[in-house]
Amino acid sequence: MWFVGALAAVLVLGACGTGQVGEDGSDSGAPDQNNKRLALVPGVQNEPFYISMQCGAEAEAKAQGYTVDTQAPQKFDATLQEPIVTGLGADKPAALLVAPTDDVAMTEPLLQVKNLGVKIVEVDTSLQDRSVAVSTITSNNEEGGRLAAKTLAELAGSKSGSVLVLDTIAGTSTTNARAKGFLDELKKYPNLKPAGEAQFTQNEPDQAASKVTAALASTPDLIGIFATNLNTGEGAATGLRNANKTGTVSLVGFDASPSEVDGLRAGDFQALIAQDPATIGKEGVKQAVAALKGEKVTRDIEAPLVAITKDNMAENEKFFYKTEC
Amino acid sequence: MTATTVEDGGAIQRRSLGTRLVTANTFWIALVLLALIIIFSALAPDAFPTVFNFQRLAIETAVLLVLAVGMTFVIITGGIDLSVGSVLIFAGMVSAKTMNALSGGSAIEAGWGVIIAGLVAAVLGGLVWGFVNGFLIAKAKVPPLIVTLGSFGAALGAASLLNNGSDIRTVPTTLKRALGSGTSFGGIPNLVITAAVITLIAAWLLHTTRFGRYTFAVGSNPEAARRAGIGVTAHLLKVYLLTGFLAGAAGFMSLAYYSTTGIAAHATDNLNAIAAVVMGGTSLFGGVGTMVGTVIGVFIPAVLKKGFNITHVQDYWQMIAVGAVLVAAVWFDQQRRRSRNRS
Repeated sequence: MWFVGALAAVLVLGACGTGQVGEDGSDSGAPDQNNKRLALVPGVQNEPFYISMQCGAEAEAKAQGYTVDTQAPQKFDATLQEPIVTGLGADKPAALLVAPTDDVAMTEPLLQVKNLGVKIVEVDTSLQDRSVAVSTITSNNEEGGRLAAKTLAELAGSKSGSVLVLDTIAGTSTTNARAKGFLDELKKYPNLKPAGEAQFTQNEPDQAASKVTAALASTPDLIGIFATNLNTGEGAATGLRNANKTGTVSLVGFDASPSEVDGLRAGDFQALIAQDPATIGKEGVKQAVAALKGEKVTRDIEAPLVAITKDNMAENEKFFYKTEC
Repeated sequence: MTATTVEDGGAIQRRSLGTRLVTANTFWIALVLLALIIIFSALAPDAFPTVFNFQRLAIETAVLLVLAVGMTFVIITGGIDLSVGSVLIFAGMVSAKTMNALSGGSAIEAGWGVIIAGLVAAVLGGLVWGFVNGFLIAKAKVPPLIVTLGSFGAALGAASLLNNGSDIRTVPTTLKRALGSGTSFGGIPNLVITAAVITLIAAWLLHTTRFGRYTFAVGSNPEAARRAGIGVTAHLLKVYLLTGFLAGAAGFMSLAYYSTTGIAAHATDNLNAIAAVVMGGTSLFGGVGTMVGTVIGVFIPAVLKKGFNITHVQDYWQMIAVGAVLVAAVWFDQQRRRSRNRS
């Protein structure tokens, strides 16, 4: 198969150039003060968390005299998000607010957009490379995980047993940190032990449901589940319902989407760790505008977190996520 | 294009260049692509027709193009390969594992020796799945849809097993800078050059060699091909091996570009590759197809999406538009063929 050899040679030869993409024609000079357009690329479409963030960003932008154009990928997938980021970037907004779907893979395209003179602000998730964005607004996810462990320990009281952690996808910085914080904090409670490593659900409810039913079969002393986001939480609730274990096994979810809030009310969830996406969006716009005007920019901002249980639902209503502004 | 010649009613009519062009499979779909580019350039003159935009368009379609090139061969034989996206991930995973193992843990500092070993590993990883697919389809006579649906899941599962379900991100910086984000000849991305050269070689293979003729023959009528003395089983196996090989190469390119194995990504690559091939005029029933058509077919959804992004049309419309173009392209093609067959 000489053809195979030829193609192998092509792959290597193709790699022998000396230049780098985007290194010419980059003008990262002073921002155009008349450009009042901002762009927002959330992690995925139709998620109440990102919609609430969009609402917060739009309200703040309006107050400051800017417009926000929002476009989100169909799935939480870097290969789908990349064309959107570079497409919006080609139109040169003044600043781009983005929730990177992969902390490594999104670096190159965002760097390209930055080189066009667009200010990058990370909202919700962030890149490993901290030189790309001017500011990062995110919930302290590790702290959120700790809060979940504390809440679960309170729910368990003096009972002892195993706890399952459902993570989304390897490489998603937010949920990975939540799982880590949870497992760290859990060590402080000797009556609770983790049921193995955190399990990855690929952010699909059906996979979360099947992981839960599998864990119920393999770990009879399961008393708690921590689901690190909306999809895993809904899947876990389904799994528990199918196994007739709703309420017997305490389910702590992350985020406060309408369906999760309903679940909390109905008893499917025992607690929710809510973020404040509206504040994240609002702060994102504030920092972007500050960067554009040459004012002081805060590099890292932590958005607040709150644990909501059935008992304190009423006073925490403002943290519930929205499906439309 | 305007050349129209009056045919005298000879027994064998020799059609003019113009007629042949207008009836060519790829002509109309090329016009659609051109029209899209012109429309979006007119709508967003500052953003769409820019070097940045075309560079991004080319980079973002490079990996899919390599997959679609392999898919073209398979579809011309009347088969289908749903596994390409998973094989891509598997090949990337094997490659990254190999490079990391050779560098004793992290391959970030690795040099060209290790990188070439990684390339070989990726290609071998692709060939393994190509062989599995080809063997089951050609020898065991299991329908391609079922075989590759099986390997679609199995390859992704195997890739996940290799690293306990998590991605590998320790990719050599040299590789990233050379193939992933490097450029040659004054700004043409190396990733795009690689994809273009692979496509050219494949076009040569399909349209000028015996291998290509056999591919068309097998797809057109396997029984006739067999009676004409073509080893249909062996040829089908070779075609699936080639597709696996190209998916492996695409996996290596993806690894260089995204610098992660991307287990969660590439879920719809198989359908995108099939859509591109079909849009480009290759018949799902086999026996008909061109490489040029596939290239155009890869670019139409990409240009549509990019154009809609730039002109701020909601993403939902993109999904509808891409679907409509796909169906319309095939419908027009069918109509045209039918009317030609009638006359």
